[in-house]
Amino acid sequence: MYVWIWRHIPGGLPGKLIGSLVLFLGACALLLFIVFPRIQDKLPFNDVTIDRPSHSSSSPSPSPHP
Amino acid sequence: MSGMSTTAQAPATAIPMRGDGWRMVVRGFGQVLITLGIVILLFVVYELWVTGLYTQHWQSAHYNQLQRSWGPGGHSIEISKADPHLAHIPLGSGIAVLYIPRFGKGYHMVIVEGTGTSDLEKGPGHYPGTAFPGQVGNFAVAGHRTTYLHPFYNLNAIKRGDAIVLETKTMWFTYRVEDAPAAKGYPHVPYQEIVNPTDVAVAYPVPDQSDPNAKASLKMLTFTTCNPRYSAAQRLVVHAVLAQALPRGRGVIPPALAG
Repeated sequence: MYVWIWRHIPGGLPGKLIGSLVLFLGACALLLFIVFPRIQDKLPFNDVTIDRPSHSSSSPSPSPHP
Repeated sequence: MSGMSTTAQAPATAIPMRGDGWRMVVRGFGQVLITLGIVILLFVVYELWVTGLYTQHWQSAHYNQLQRSWGPGGHSIEISKADPHLAHIPLGSGIAVLYIPRFGKGYHMVIVEGTGTSDLEKGPGHYPGTAFPGQVGNFAVAGHRTTYLHPFYNLNAIKRGDAIVLETKTMWFTYRVEDAPAAKGYPHVPYQEIVNPTDVAVAYPVPDQSDPNAKASLKMLTFTTCNPRYSAAQRLVVHAVLAQALPRGRGVIPPALAG
């Protein structure tokens, strides 16, 4: 996979080095700013509130955690 | 001898050999696994530190904004005079500043209204409908333990007798961490509890009472966070009782924060 990408980046050695850096940073940015913020809401370790399991309380408490 | 000559020739042959396809598949699979491992490590870095950058940024901007809105010409109200059931405080807006001397001299966090995901990403969040600082009832606050600047990372280190200070527009409220003193209608409320995530009674006006509408007579404060660290199996809860209310003015600093 990585060998295939390396072969297909143009521009000789300097071009390949810069190209791979750009691809690497792009992948990191995609993960950090788009993928991770979306999946973390579906994971439980950020639950710090106490919530009723089913029926909501009388207070207008938003309960985002299922 | 003959074996040596065949290995020397092998790289030169451009004709694909039997098994090369499998070798490629296995190599690709290995690379995918390594990549996934690195992605998961990056996710851990994101959760533990990158989320804190957002909270840090929000906190420093809104600490200053809150202090301005409390100053002359500021628009905000004195939160301890507002009715928790009638006041429409926008979710995610700062309502008070929290100081916990046990967590260090520089520790201060803006408490926001609401306990939704986006509120708690900004800082510790006040359970809407529970009492405001300084009021009879229970000022209940949830905060992150390990992510988003982990304001309650060391909540387990809080000891009996520790001070928790809240700053509002015109007041300083100092709470003392202790078991709730014996009062009419109050069950035994220990200063620290570990409960199930569904145990909402810890945030009731009379904590740990089965009746959510029981008449409170004490001015209490309750913190909730996840427990153990990096898990969400339980909730760590700390209770405190109001010990001192001081008007906020020039040169007035609560004794718990002085020195």
